[in-house]
Amino acid sequence: MKILFDLDGTVTAQETLPVIAQHFGVEEKIAELTAQTVQGNVPFIESFIRRVNILGDLPVSKISELLDQVPLYPQLYAFIQAHRDDCVIVTGNLSCWCEGLHNKIQCKTYCSEAEVVDNRVVKLKSILRKEQIVDLYKAAGEQVVFVGDGNNDLEAMRHADISIATGLTHNPARSLYAICDYIIFNENALCRQLNQLL
Amino acid sequence: MSAIKSVVISCAGIGSRLGLGLTKALVKINNRSLISWQLELFKDVEDVRIVVGFQANDIIEEVLKYRKDVTFIFNHRYFETKTGASFYLGARHAYDHVLEWDGDLLVHPDDVKMILEQEGEFICYADKTSEEAVFVKTDEKGNVLEFSRECGDYEWTGPACLSKEHLAYCSNNVYNMFEPFLPMRGIKVRAYDIDTYQDYMRVSEIVKDWKI
Repeated sequence: MKILFDLDGTVTAQETLPVIAQHFGVEEKIAELTAQTVQGNVPFIESFIRRVNILGDLPVSKISELLDQVPLYPQLYAFIQAHRDDCVIVTGNLSCWCEGLHNKIQCKTYCSEAEVVDNRVVKLKSILRKEQIVDLYKAAGEQVVFVGDGNNDLEAMRHADISIATGLTHNPARSLYAICDYIIFNENALCRQLNQLL
Repeated sequence: MSAIKSVVISCAGIGSRLGLGLTKALVKINNRSLISWQLELFKDVEDVRIVVGFQANDIIEEVLKYRKDVTFIFNHRYFETKTGASFYLGARHAYDHVLEWDGDLLVHPDDVKMILEQEGEFICYADKTSEEAVFVKTDEKGNVLEFSRECGDYEWTGPACLSKEHLAYCSNNVYNMFEPFLPMRGIKVRAYDIDTYQDYMRVSEIVKDWKI
């Protein structure tokens, strides 16, 4: 069995984007883009490209450092540490931004990729489609559990054998209600369910 | 903490026979929703699992007012399936020996305490109150021998407890899941289904004396 986790707001106890935006004073731009995305007016891929355009000029090392400081859900973190071989992080975020976080979490991670020159993102190379990672593990014969909270987790959850929508940081996207197997709003209950699944 | 660690409350149905236009979990019994009565009765149960379908958002919102560490399970096919499917979905990843509880069932608080202390598999039943029920036939020790639509000694109300090794998908009624394993230990309880408006009025009277 493989348990795939979205990162932002699922494993992190805070959304990472506002943390970066606040530090660099681009909250308004990011907040507007996020609102448009959440409402479904801007599709996720376009939103991500626009997000990278806003944040790409900012120093990669500083973003990674900021994200490293974002708190994680402690019980969930402990669960992942105890089951590192079964757990996988699947995030649309750029790998260069998440380096610090990933070093801390220390399990297999899939991200979007960018070319970095002089500590700046100069080109977006790939945007992760989470459902492809689900399919990859399923093709390898694994039973796949997907844990996420956003509209961009929808397809991955639809492809997974078991899907858990979480509302730990904020309510899960309503679109997930139509396809998920479970909805859980509490870290303790989530870890209990994950242990029951293993 | 109770001996029983996982309880599955099936709240996915549309409650069409009651006629109040609400899924039964949200029906108010003496100013509090049916689901809030159940959550109070299960406050010492570690793993409360609520199966939702019709009006899922409203049920989730109501439950979260009282308890956050609930696992919600979706029965997306609630319109085509019966309580057996909801119980299966709710129980398949639970702790072993799962207590099945219909969302429209209220049981006397003293009996709930007694039920939660039981170990192993069992089936609960109550005195007959309806002509259109499913009945149970029992032996002299109260063990359940058979379910019947025609006649029996008591009325099948639930709850019932099943070992996970006996759990198999069933789109039919939950009692059909127990039939292959009869005879099974029976326990008589003071249990009240809320299927019709008459049931609703009757239960509203009964619970006035309950102290929980």
